[in-house]
Amino acid sequence: MIEFENVTKRYGRRRRVVALRDVSLEVPAGSVWAVVGPNGAGKSTLLALALGFIRPTRGAVLLGGMPPRYHLRDNGAGYLSERFSLPPEWRVRDALRGLARLAGGRAGDADRAAGRFGLEPHLGRRIGELSRGLLQRVGLAQALLVPRDLVVLDEPTEGLDPVWRIRLRDIVADLRDEGRTVIIASHDLGEVERVADRAILLEGGAVREILDTRSGDPPSSWRITLAAPFDRAAEVFPAAAMEPDGTVFTVALPGPAELSERVAALVALGGLVVAVEPLRQPLEERVREALGDDA
Amino acid sequence: MRGIASFLRLTLRSRARRVAGLIAFGLLFLAAGATARIFTGDEHGHIEMDQIFALGGTTLVSALLLMGWLVGRFPLIAAVVLMAGIFSDDRARGHARIYAVLPHSPVVLYGARFLLLASLAFLMSALLLPMFDIIVLGVLPHATVFALIGGQVIVFGTLTALLSTFTRADAWAALFVGVTGIVWDGLRRVELVAALPPAFRQAVSVVLPPQGALARIETAFASLQPVPWDAVLYVSLYGALLLVIAGAILARREI
Repeated sequence: MIEFENVTKRYGRRRRVVALRDVSLEVPAGSVWAVVGPNGAGKSTLLALALGFIRPTRGAVLLGGMPPRYHLRDNGAGYLSERFSLPPEWRVRDALRGLARLAGGRAGDADRAAGRFGLEPHLGRRIGELSRGLLQRVGLAQALLVPRDLVVLDEPTEGLDPVWRIRLRDIVADLRDEGRTVIIASHDLGEVERVADRAILLEGGAVREILDTRSGDPPSSWRITLAAPFDRAAEVFPAAAMEPDGTVFTVALPGPAELSERVAALVALGGLVVAVEPLRQPLEERVREALGDDA
Repeated sequence: MRGIASFLRLTLRSRARRVAGLIAFGLLFLAAGATARIFTGDEHGHIEMDQIFALGGTTLVSALLLMGWLVGRFPLIAAVVLMAGIFSDDRARGHARIYAVLPHSPVVLYGARFLLLASLAFLMSALLLPMFDIIVLGVLPHATVFALIGGQVIVFGTLTALLSTFTRADAWAALFVGVTGIVWDGLRRVELVAALPPAFRQAVSVVLPPQGALARIETAFASLQPVPWDAVLYVSLYGALLLVIAGAILARREI
């Protein structure tokens, strides 16, 4: 879907500021990718290049096999900019309907998007009157007015309350299920880990690592939660590390088959299992490891 | 087309305050002209300068003359005010990126916006100037007034639009270039620039707004002569050239 071939982007009068340095990567269609990294790492520059807002100083960017602007002229894309804004005098309803028509949709698409993001009570309000969180929801609604193969969201959780963060997670999952390509730039590593398949870790304009946030390898450790302390758990899981309250313990096992057998045995003994969670190394830790002292 | 129409409706909403300001500005001229006529108009409806002088001295006479000069520049003012930030505001505020991911060419979008705003400037001027003439002079203006309005809207509208692809100070830059053009044209007429190399004079005259052509249209209007079509054509070609350059820049401009 998106290809970067040895892309370098320099800014400034004498092009001294290197925003991206020799970046090569390929984002396949139908996946959810995140772009993470410290401030100034080049996240927004990478998105701007992918959408053809800016041109590479060196190298090439292809979107759908062609220069991004050509691709967008034919297909469009969903896009939420960082610090999203619209003219303050526009009303939410007019803005969404106008942008929906401009995107090739209908007024009904705008109403649906407004419903999806809980904007119905605010349709008559002016953009300038909205809180940061509401404005962000308008931004997300306008990005998803009509179905697009490519959706790019720059800091989508900024200003959103916890409820809307969770809803956004579901919406991104829906987009993945529909086969859309989604790219998210975010500082929120926890959120990235929940929604993305892979994360491009940028630092100083270079790709430090492409992290697999949904590793295909099954985890080797699990956290098991019981409804109440159960003494006989140690019979089934002799090497378990039990937490002080006696209801949560961590086990390391060769694979899910062994886990299933042991959990079944535990239940047979009378243990009440509430949850079994796979344990992977959190993205935050992996980013910290990759960045080393710079983190 | 439905999409473009929506874009233009939103553009009108963004420009509503400026339009209201221009209408208020225009009404001020009409009110001043009507007041002058009520107090000093003769039996033919003409305003008598002697009476104005008797009422308010040179201050009032100067004010009315300035007003007459200014109302003649209303199309220029309307074009610059409406076009200011036509592209640069969107670029600075990030809205250009929102439009850039829509399946439309930016040249078509901003071209349509230019046409809308230019038509609006023309329409407002085409109402104000004849009304002012009717109130102050008591006569319907010559049809050349529409050439005068069109000329100013084309020259200063396209100039502001072109500058908007470079800078947020597009309106001020357009006014600066416009005033430079007026000064240059004045110097050229009185042959104060005759000492400069002819190629340089020619180049400056081509680059600056076609003040000579605009002045010819204005003279034709003031002296009730027919429309100087060659001047109108020159002005139109100048505007078309600036639009083509602006379009070419827009198509490649980083946003």
